[in-house]
Amino acid sequence: MTEKTPTYTEAMQRLETIVSTLERGGMGLDETLKLYEEGAELLRLCKTELSSAEGRLNELQLDEIEAELQAVEK
Amino acid sequence: MTGRGGVTTGPLPIGQFVQMVKQTVVRDPLFKNQALRGEVTQWKQYPSGHTYFSLRDQDGQMRAVIWKGRCAIDPSIKEGSEVVVLASIDLYVRRGEIQLNVERIEPVSILGELEKTKRLLIEQLTKEGELDRERLVIPAVPKHIAIITGAGSAALSDMQRLIENRWPGLRRTVIGVLVQGPHATEQIVRGLAAARKLSNPEYAKSRGQPPVDLVIVGRGGGSPEDLWSFNLEPVARAIIASTVPVVSAVGHESDILVSDLVADLRASTPSDAVERVVPVLPELHYLLDEYHERLGNASRRQINDNLQRLRTLHARLRVAPMAGLNRAKATLFALSSRMNVSANQNISTQKTRLAQLEASLTAIHPQRVLERGYSMTQTEDGTVLSSVEGIEIGQHIILNFADGSADAEIKNTHENEGEQ
Repeated sequence: MTEKTPTYTEAMQRLETIVSTLERGGMGLDETLKLYEEGAELLRLCKTELSSAEGRLNELQLDEIEAELQAVEK
Repeated sequence: MTGRGGVTTGPLPIGQFVQMVKQTVVRDPLFKNQALRGEVTQWKQYPSGHTYFSLRDQDGQMRAVIWKGRCAIDPSIKEGSEVVVLASIDLYVRRGEIQLNVERIEPVSILGELEKTKRLLIEQLTKEGELDRERLVIPAVPKHIAIITGAGSAALSDMQRLIENRWPGLRRTVIGVLVQGPHATEQIVRGLAAARKLSNPEYAKSRGQPPVDLVIVGRGGGSPEDLWSFNLEPVARAIIASTVPVVSAVGHESDILVSDLVADLRASTPSDAVERVVPVLPELHYLLDEYHERLGNASRRQINDNLQRLRTLHARLRVAPMAGLNRAKATLFALSSRMNVSANQNISTQKTRLAQLEASLTAIHPQRVLERGYSMTQTEDGTVLSSVEGIEIGQHIILNFADGSADAEIKNTHENEGEQ
């Protein structure tokens, strides 16, 4: 978890595991809080992912985008 | 003649009727953008730039026109050429003649060649294992889609509308390219190269955008030749080389092209591509909200369970020391009373034994014996004599009594009989 940010799919899978583990019950307080925090963090991450997909809408001709990319190269 | 729908009772002016026929005919989608095959006759290119001819085979024929600049015309086409055209029906009202408006024309010999190169390319790619290679994973949430297609095309506006419906404001970069004609292949390949650069984090950063993480390349349906660029090796190789997942979205359902075979995902149409890779945002939010709620509820229940357990433990803990203390007290009491009892018993036993010992001690004291009339005999050196054996005649002995002693001399000795 700590070493690499999970992808949206990985985050959702982990969330499912966490939620169903908590729903099964029989967990200690420590573990509950740890899982809750991890779950909340994953939810935050997913929401950030969703909002980060929103952005500019570029519509460019091939020549324009190539010129733009060439400018970056220089 | 009676007017249609009973509105007009008099005879219809012919021009109006032809107009009605035209509207019915041109509206029928079956007669739009049809690929047709036949032989060219009456081929005539006018100075105005329009080209007129008839397309025919043994069963029928129809007039056709290629408007000026509408499409490239292969110079090999002449009277008697076998061709395939992409055309829509039209009706020239002034003459009441039905004709084909031709959008594309290709000699059949070229088409045959194309099919052959397509087959060879597929064989080649199969041999190289490119068709079995592992495909890139389509991201669940694409953060930046590059769409390579015809600028201003119907396919593009369909995709744009569909994306806005599913995920308003989803970040995307459209790279407008020619998707048919002699420059299409080269432009599509360059478009893919540009998309690849946009997927480079360095480039993306300098443009202030997240890197492209998904590419849709495609166009709407058309004649086989229109779609042909997507069957050519340079496009196939560019798709294979892509480091970002590529969706091939070309034409109608039925067209399977080489780009479809090598892409990471094949969509049957541009709209299908959008439906398959762009999630519906409200659904994702709904799912997250649901997880949020479940996470909260399950955690709260866990915490409550734990609190309940804690309360029970607390209650038990409160009474636990008292119980222990009481038990200890009782044990102590029992022990001390047992100790008292056994100590008392011991003392009286000892007292009794002491008295007995004193009595027997008193009884066996020599003085007491002497008082009872017995006397003790000693030699002159003090040895107590308890036997007659060893006593000699004339030996001096001392007789001790309770109140004094007397010296005596042995006259004779007698041993008791039967005693040893």
